[in-house]
Amino acid sequence: MKLEMSGEEMNSTPKTPNCNMHEALVAYLYDEAAPDENRRVKAHLTECSACEQELQAFERVRGMLQQWQLDDLPVLRVVTEPSSVKRSMVAALKELFWVTPVWAKALGAVATAMLVLAVMGTDVSIGRDGFSFHANLLGRPQTAPVNTNEKTSGSLNGANIEQVRTEVRSLVNQLIAESERQQKEQIEAQLVSLEAQLQTMHTTDLAKLASRIQEHQARLKTIERDLDRREGLDLTDILFSEVSKPSERITGGGD
Amino acid sequence: MELSDSQIIERTLAGEPDAFNALVRRWERQIYGLTLRMLGRDDEAKDATQETFLSAYRNLSKFRGEAKFSSWIYRIALNTCNTKLRSRSRFTISLDEQRETSGFELAADTEDLGSGIQQEQVTRHVRRALQGLPSEMRQVIIMKEYEGLKFSEIADVLGIPISTVKTRMYTGLTELRKRLEHLREAV
Repeated sequence: MKLEMSGEEMNSTPKTPNCNMHEALVAYLYDEAAPDENRRVKAHLTECSACEQELQAFERVRGMLQQWQLDDLPVLRVVTEPSSVKRSMVAALKELFWVTPVWAKALGAVATAMLVLAVMGTDVSIGRDGFSFHANLLGRPQTAPVNTNEKTSGSLNGANIEQVRTEVRSLVNQLIAESERQQKEQIEAQLVSLEAQLQTMHTTDLAKLASRIQEHQARLKTIERDLDRREGLDLTDILFSEVSKPSERITGGGD
Repeated sequence: MELSDSQIIERTLAGEPDAFNALVRRWERQIYGLTLRMLGRDDEAKDATQETFLSAYRNLSKFRGEAKFSSWIYRIALNTCNTKLRSRSRFTISLDEQRETSGFELAADTEDLGSGIQQEQVTRHVRRALQGLPSEMRQVIIMKEYEGLKFSEIADVLGIPISTVKTRMYTGLTELRKRLEHLREAV
């Protein structure tokens, strides 16, 4: 980004002293002169009263400039627009993960596991013969399904399947309820925090208003005093002029 | 440990928009000071400050890491101020408006300039004297006197040689000296 200038370049060298020391003088004034430049300016100042006076005048100007200090700062809230900044895929996925409810995460995990198993050539089925599992990791031709239940806990009948379904359903319901409770708590906490922030901002604004009112009142009082002083001076002048004339006459008559 | 400007920018670009608020909090005072002294009006300065940070946020991906963030944000702020100054015609300000913005006049005699109210008047005169300078001198003086930048840093922000910065500084101080000479007893 290039800064556009209004066009008035300083081609002419400032003319006050004819020493052509303006750059060195400014560097010296702001303590940015190199050691040899510093010595050169110091030596010059002992000989050139014009430059010496100019330096003193610049120091006075700097003193006046420093009187303008800021006592107030605006409250800035920059509204960020996420779409305008390029986000990485990982960051987007991370954000998606944090905003997803727990029950959805659980369902997602189950679905992902099923998908992974399907990709790996694994066959999972629930039939009359119970829960069957078949893995074909190396892409070998499928053989007859292996009934894992025969090896482990025997056959599962329809009642058992129904029981498992009920348990899964209740587990999902529990997860949903837990997620809702957490979200409710989060919202409540955010509301409390927001209220506190608003209260703080309100208090700050009130304090600023109060200080400004006081400042204005003080300014008004000073203006009033100034006006009173001027009116008082004028009246005194009038009175003095009226009283002084006869006395002058008396003194003049005495001589 | 406090994050550097570059680290905050990296985080913002990685998808943490809230990280940018840390950058705003770090630089808002300097940028507001710069815009207020460049523009001379509080409401315009607040707008310019907002616009500066929004512009920086929108163009953050274009920020080159080799430059200092401070130089970059100052440059954006100065561009914003210059745009506002160009759109404002100095000749359209009525005398009444000038009086309104400058407050009541300084007393012709400066006998009581040591007291508080007169100090306020000095500040007002400084403000007006600065506003009367050409923009290119004013911005150099503001960056040097109020932001404390080195001549090399100002040259970097403005994209001009250091010698030009010093010349502008000298000419600006000379102009201010002429305009503020009558207040010398006050300080």
